[in-house]
Amino acid sequence: MSLLELSGVVRRFRVRRGPLRAPLIVEAVAGVSFTVERGRTLAIIGESGCGKSTTGRMALGMEAPDAGEVRFEGAPMPPPGSAAWRRMRTRMQMVFQDPLGALDKRLPIGRQIGEPLDIHRIGTPTERRDRVAALLDAVRLRPDQAHHYPHELSGGQRQRAVLARALASDPVLLVCDEPVSALDVSTQAQVVNLLIDLQAERYLALVFISHDLKLVRQIGERVLVMYLGRVVEEGTPEAVLHAPAHPYTRALVSAIPEPGERRVPRAVIGGEIPDPSARPSGCPFHPRCPIAVPLCRVELPPLKPLSASQSVACHLAHGDAAPPRVRAAA
Amino acid sequence: MVRFILFRLMRATLTVVLVVSFAFCILRLAGDPSQVVLGPNAPPDAVAAFRQAWGLQRPLYLQYLLYWNGILHGNFGNSMLDGRPVLAVVLSHIPATLEIMGPALLLSIAIGIPGGAFAALRRDTATDRAVMALSVAGFTVPSFVLGLGLVLVFAVLLHWLPAGGREGWSSAILPVMTLGFGGAAVLARFTRSAMAEVMGQPYIRAASAKGLPWRTVVQWHALPNALIPTVTVIGFMVGAMLAGAVVVESVFSWPGLGRLLVVAVGSRDVAVVQCILFLVAVTMVTANLVVDLLYGWLDPRILADARR
Amino acid sequence: MAEPAARLIDIRGLRVAFGGMEVVRGLDFSIGPGEAVGLVGESGSGKSVTWLAVTRLLGPAADISGSVLLAGEDLLRASPARMDHIRGRRIAMIFQDPASALNPVRRVGKQVAEALRLHRGMDAAAARAETIRLFDLVGLPDAAWRFGAYPHELSGGQNQRVMIAMALAGRPDLLVADEPTTALDATIQAQILDLLDRLRAEFGMALLLITHDLGVVSRVCDRIAVMYAGTIVEAAPADRLFRTAAHPYTRGLLGASPPLHGPRRRLTAIPGRVPEPFDMPPGCPFAPRCPEAEAACTHARPPLAPCAPDHVAACLHVPSPNRVMAHEPA
Repeated sequence: MSLLELSGVVRRFRVRRGPLRAPLIVEAVAGVSFTVERGRTLAIIGESGCGKSTTGRMALGMEAPDAGEVRFEGAPMPPPGSAAWRRMRTRMQMVFQDPLGALDKRLPIGRQIGEPLDIHRIGTPTERRDRVAALLDAVRLRPDQAHHYPHELSGGQRQRAVLARALASDPVLLVCDEPVSALDVSTQAQVVNLLIDLQAERYLALVFISHDLKLVRQIGERVLVMYLGRVVEEGTPEAVLHAPAHPYTRALVSAIPEPGERRVPRAVIGGEIPDPSARPSGCPFHPRCPIAVPLCRVELPPLKPLSASQSVACHLAHGDAAPPRVRAAA
Repeated sequence: MVRFILFRLMRATLTVVLVVSFAFCILRLAGDPSQVVLGPNAPPDAVAAFRQAWGLQRPLYLQYLLYWNGILHGNFGNSMLDGRPVLAVVLSHIPATLEIMGPALLLSIAIGIPGGAFAALRRDTATDRAVMALSVAGFTVPSFVLGLGLVLVFAVLLHWLPAGGREGWSSAILPVMTLGFGGAAVLARFTRSAMAEVMGQPYIRAASAKGLPWRTVVQWHALPNALIPTVTVIGFMVGAMLAGAVVVESVFSWPGLGRLLVVAVGSRDVAVVQCILFLVAVTMVTANLVVDLLYGWLDPRILADARR
Repeated sequence: MAEPAARLIDIRGLRVAFGGMEVVRGLDFSIGPGEAVGLVGESGSGKSVTWLAVTRLLGPAADISGSVLLAGEDLLRASPARMDHIRGRRIAMIFQDPASALNPVRRVGKQVAEALRLHRGMDAAAARAETIRLFDLVGLPDAAWRFGAYPHELSGGQNQRVMIAMALAGRPDLLVADEPTTALDATIQAQILDLLDRLRAEFGMALLLITHDLGVVSRVCDRIAVMYAGTIVEAAPADRLFRTAAHPYTRGLLGASPPLHGPRRRLTAIPGRVPEPFDMPPGCPFAPRCPEAEAACTHARPPLAPCAPDHVAACLHVPSPNRVMAHEPA
């Protein structure tokens, strides 16, 4: 039994277009499945519009899927806002991108870190105080900083305070949605190292959502690559990053600038990420794919294992279709 | 686009209907017109006859339906004071009000917008603070105080302008100034904040970076963009000025709609009051509709949102 | 680095202060004609303020001193009219968030045409034709249609292409790109960087890329300068910088960047945080965070001195070229 299990979750949004027209149905997440265990890290990467944030929210039960199922510790996730769901908040927490937005400007961070304890009535007041002190220490903040307000701290310190608050109720699952994207490079390193250490110490299950492939390699044990609401590739960071099987992953990997790497030829794909409301037929990537064949336009490739450490959703990767005859290097 | 307009037209019509209905009920419930017109000591037969003549004995809903029926035929009833058709009475008072409202609106725009823009360009300097102080004074001082003050200075002390009445163009100056200053103050403040916000936008700096001279950036990029939200304020001001006209016309004995309304309310001349309210509602709603459409035309993002 | 006479732009001792607080503290920097230079720094390093000061876009609140020579002419002493002439025609700038750097209520084609009419004296018809040609050049598909589009109708990548087209309108000698790809997705980022590189070669113009991402400058730039706390702490050709970074801050930045290739290693986080302008440490600004700091570092700011041919660093511990010879391994 996995700690967290998502099976074929789908999330649709209805976009209103005025009082006299039918609303547009946009599929932000179009069938995603994965499992996460305690002490393991799952990284989800993708660009804007791929549905990774929505998937993260569904994993925590903050949004109910329109199809498919989310199970936590073997039981179905209760509907958002219900009493059972609120009780589960102690077991799972989320960390967002903007630490300043996640913290209340008018309360000192010590109070905010202790808030989950107050809400869920965990421990006596003395125990709560001790726990807050321990948490501050765990995220490498000084005890005197408990009295500081968010604006008195740096970006990195704020994000660590957010982490401390997330860990207050001793959760088993932590979902981080772009937790370090708003920070400087040197601060990112601090927070990422901290996350890795905390996960090891507390045996947390970690879902790390990011657009930054390099970070994902650092922190992930398994990587899910999402495009337009679907998982196009899945595997270990080594497999996905160094031997990507899906053309999109290949393009993504080669798009990443690496310090020290000078002008190397790479597969820069053209085109824009399509609007989720105007989903291409068949494989969602086919309009931009350098190796697309007629089958790709018609049939959606399923996510199938390619090897023990890698799965991919591509007809050509599995040999289900012949590669195009002559194709100039992109 | 068509949907955009249609929706707003529907809303506008509904607003007018609601305003008129509300006025109808309130006026009927606020006291018996017959008492006011005939006096408190009138004999009951006279009162009954009066009520019979004016249809006041009918149930409320019937009066309501008959009223709307009348409107759709262009008949707003007759004045209880002199028996003339209400529509004619009201229409005859419109030119006088327009004579001061039109110029007042123009005055507000001519002073308010440049004043506000100027203050925004010299933000946080003495000039800015002076303009803003003036503007605060402009909209906090009640219009009758301002009006009477102007009368005191220009009519009583200096004898430059007449104190009231409607005779010759010089008698319009003080009422126009009174009506206009309040509007100018509001516009100045609003323009200043809209302008200041636009000036802080990245595209203004990018326009400068393009090599455009500062004057061009202000004239062609900053000011036009700041005017877009300001246009909506002007629509609102039309309504505010109509309300202001009531006070100003009373202060200056100006024979316009405002004064007519005051007299009609005082004498419970229900038909006249309702007709004026109807007119005011239609005017305000039209002004706001025009402004709405203008906004949609000026800022393409609005239509894009509506279209999606 | 080119000889002083041949330099396109030569900045000496630039200082920028706001209300007494110095944000740029004595900057020496130069760019040769046609050179691709990268300026790397985290937030608070003053990298953007420097270039806004050079182009005199900072407004009256800024105190600027020093000298900025553009082909012999001091920009800091030029009249506003002269600066209007220089902006766009000699030095063009593109900014971070392309959608907000364009006037939202004007069609994008008109905005580019405005630049063309200003700098090349074209009439409306000629400007329109040239705009469409520029749109083709920067890879905007369907150029004629895009002429009449509004910024909100285009994606981030497309808007950035519009900005680039607008910058090219005046045929500038130097294009300053301030974080041009930070707000864009990875695959689009690669497209834009590619485009900038190609255009630079085609037009023979110099390119200055301001960013916090070492990988980005690695792709496109021949020479890289690193900024910290308002000054340049190291400058070298790109290869040298990545192989043998001299300044501890540069080394720290490189260590904090997660590697894409090679073995996974723990990120070396730089402890502490970037100093605020009102709280500058005495001597070397990096000393409080530097693993190699000693007493001498807090006495005076180390000058930017050569440590190898074409490689300068502002650090007391960096050996001078003479001494390097003595310590070369056998």
